[in-house]
Amino acid sequence: MDLHIEIITQVLFWGLYTGCIYILLATGLNLIFGVMKIVNFAHGEFLMLGTYITFFLFVMSGFNPYVLLCASIPLLVVIGVIIERLCFRPILGTGKLNEIFVSIGLIYIIQNLVARIWTDEWKTIQSPFRDISVVLGVIQVPLDYLIIMAVTAILLIGLYIFLHHTWTGRAIRATSQDRKGAMLMGINVERMDMVTFGIGAALAGAAGTLWAVNGQVFNPYMGSIPAIKAFAIIILGGLGSIPGAIVGGLAVGLVENGTAFTLGGAWKDAVSFILLIIVLIIRPTGLFGEDSE
Amino acid sequence: MSGPASTTGKDIWQSAELAAQEINAQGGIFVKDLNKKIPITLVQGDDESTREGGIKAVSKLITQDNVDLLVGGYSSAVVSAHQSIVADNKVPYIISGGSSTSVSHRDDIDTSYMFFHRPNTDDSAKASILFIDEMVRPEIYKKFNLPDDRPLRLALIFQDSPFGKGQQGAVRNLTQDFNLPIEIVAEETFKMGESDFRTALTSVKAKKPDIIYAVTFLNELIPLTQQARRDVGLDTLILSIENNDDPDYYSGVGELGDYTLMESRFSPYAIPKGSTSERTKKFLEDFQTKYGGFAGMMGAATYESVYIAAKAIENAGTVQKDAVRKALSEISMDHMIEVMKDQVIRFSPDYQESSFDLYVEQMKMDPAVGEIRPHIVWPESIRETGFVIPDWYQPGSP
Repeated sequence: MDLHIEIITQVLFWGLYTGCIYILLATGLNLIFGVMKIVNFAHGEFLMLGTYITFFLFVMSGFNPYVLLCASIPLLVVIGVIIERLCFRPILGTGKLNEIFVSIGLIYIIQNLVARIWTDEWKTIQSPFRDISVVLGVIQVPLDYLIIMAVTAILLIGLYIFLHHTWTGRAIRATSQDRKGAMLMGINVERMDMVTFGIGAALAGAAGTLWAVNGQVFNPYMGSIPAIKAFAIIILGGLGSIPGAIVGGLAVGLVENGTAFTLGGAWKDAVSFILLIIVLIIRPTGLFGEDSE
Repeated sequence: MSGPASTTGKDIWQSAELAAQEINAQGGIFVKDLNKKIPITLVQGDDESTREGGIKAVSKLITQDNVDLLVGGYSSAVVSAHQSIVADNKVPYIISGGSSTSVSHRDDIDTSYMFFHRPNTDDSAKASILFIDEMVRPEIYKKFNLPDDRPLRLALIFQDSPFGKGQQGAVRNLTQDFNLPIEIVAEETFKMGESDFRTALTSVKAKKPDIIYAVTFLNELIPLTQQARRDVGLDTLILSIENNDDPDYYSGVGELGDYTLMESRFSPYAIPKGSTSERTKKFLEDFQTKYGGFAGMMGAATYESVYIAAKAIENAGTVQKDAVRKALSEISMDHMIEVMKDQVIRFSPDYQESSFDLYVEQMKMDPAVGEIRPHIVWPESIRETGFVIPDWYQPGSP
């Protein structure tokens, strides 16, 4: 195999791009788990909803799909809040089995709803920058990928600022660290659940938009596999840990692409899960997880 | 009807409905035993695009709905999972999908009640490889003054499934058996439903192929083509196979699909000249009038399969399953909307497979519609236009 530097750099670049999508998806999932301690298997459906909402707005307005993130993110927050209020709050604390079945039920409901509204035929969104490539050292890459990485970084920085420098953000972190303690300090933890679920859904929706905007095809059933990977990533990185989701997402993105290059695409999921098993054997709480988790 | 292959499922169902309505409009099928014509009643089974869903659907159709005959079946993986139920219950089954030979050539179950109205992976691979050897290779070598003793560099990228592996095996065997001057320089696999081909294509690019043979489903071919041309910068030809000849491909792939090639047997936009062309046009028009869209390849095969079923029952003079099976094995009827070998629909005595005349299309951008459109470039007998090597094309490593 000719392992030229440009080929290796190219593979690393694809790994970085894949990692960005995983990071957004897994960060949202981990945020929700960290605060509410619920296992939401329907998290991938927020990714799918993000693509469809952007698609709808794109068809209606013809605006740049990246700009449409400004509309789709708030819409996903609202959808997340509604789902938390109607579906998860009533069963919170009644047992993990209830949470699991509610989230599985949500998968079918959301998929069928989207199929009903937009049909289940394959759809695409084309970026206005699709014909622009830039030279990046030894490789040439489409501009879209750099925009996607930049948007991911902006969203993560925004999330960091929100969580560390706003009262609500600090209250969310407090709820995540000690729910009872937060309540005793006067924090309305149910409101924090609602806000967190909305943010988590919005991050997944942003991941969906960024995933679809570079010409991917999508249909209402696209969310299930990414959701499974997001779960693997948060377990790898540590349940409830945002840095863990970031490092885990990047690691899985790079390992998947490295595996696809060396062993073939059929092996990439298997090797990602081998990585997960190895990490869990060495560190059962994940890379950034705490013992109390 | 649901799951990742739901679009194909809808195509299959609507085409079956169209055929049944046409037959029923003529009074139905004449059954000698009953001395009257009986209408066709369609019962839907949804395999949910999964093996388990297929087992449930077929079990229900046979044991609860008591169907006389089964038509349809998509994806080799899904069909192979429910074949044993059909074998155990001895229900005639005209399978219009599931192209892998591992489905039709299996000997671990009784397949005598199964009839395969589709080209198998060997057939479509043979057409593709013959096209590469007869047309692509000479044109590239002529244009770039390549020496005749240089083998053509072929890269395979295929789905990790019975369908993909069937094509891979067929391509390997063909190049060896016919001693063709074709070297397989890359073999990359991907999982069913994959959407990220960038790394696999980067690996292919490193092997410097002259042409890529992509064995994919429709939802995979669109991102594969776009990522090959735009993201990875592969300035080479991509040849895909018939199951992708669908209106969604033309609208989804955009201008990056320009000059791509597709082995086919039924296209929404290219009708081979000959005795099937008028009926094909009518089928497409009727489908569009009724459903407001284009029929796909699976729909075409299912439409024909309903007619084959009707003819077999009429010939048998009964709906008794063993008699219908015998009638299917002996059937010989004029081809309809897909071009068949010898212009006749019949099933081979060995594996009960029908035999198609396959062709290859090249896509060209049509500015009037803003999408690519197919033009038949091979074989010579039905060629619409010449095969073109695009200006941006670069041959592989000499």
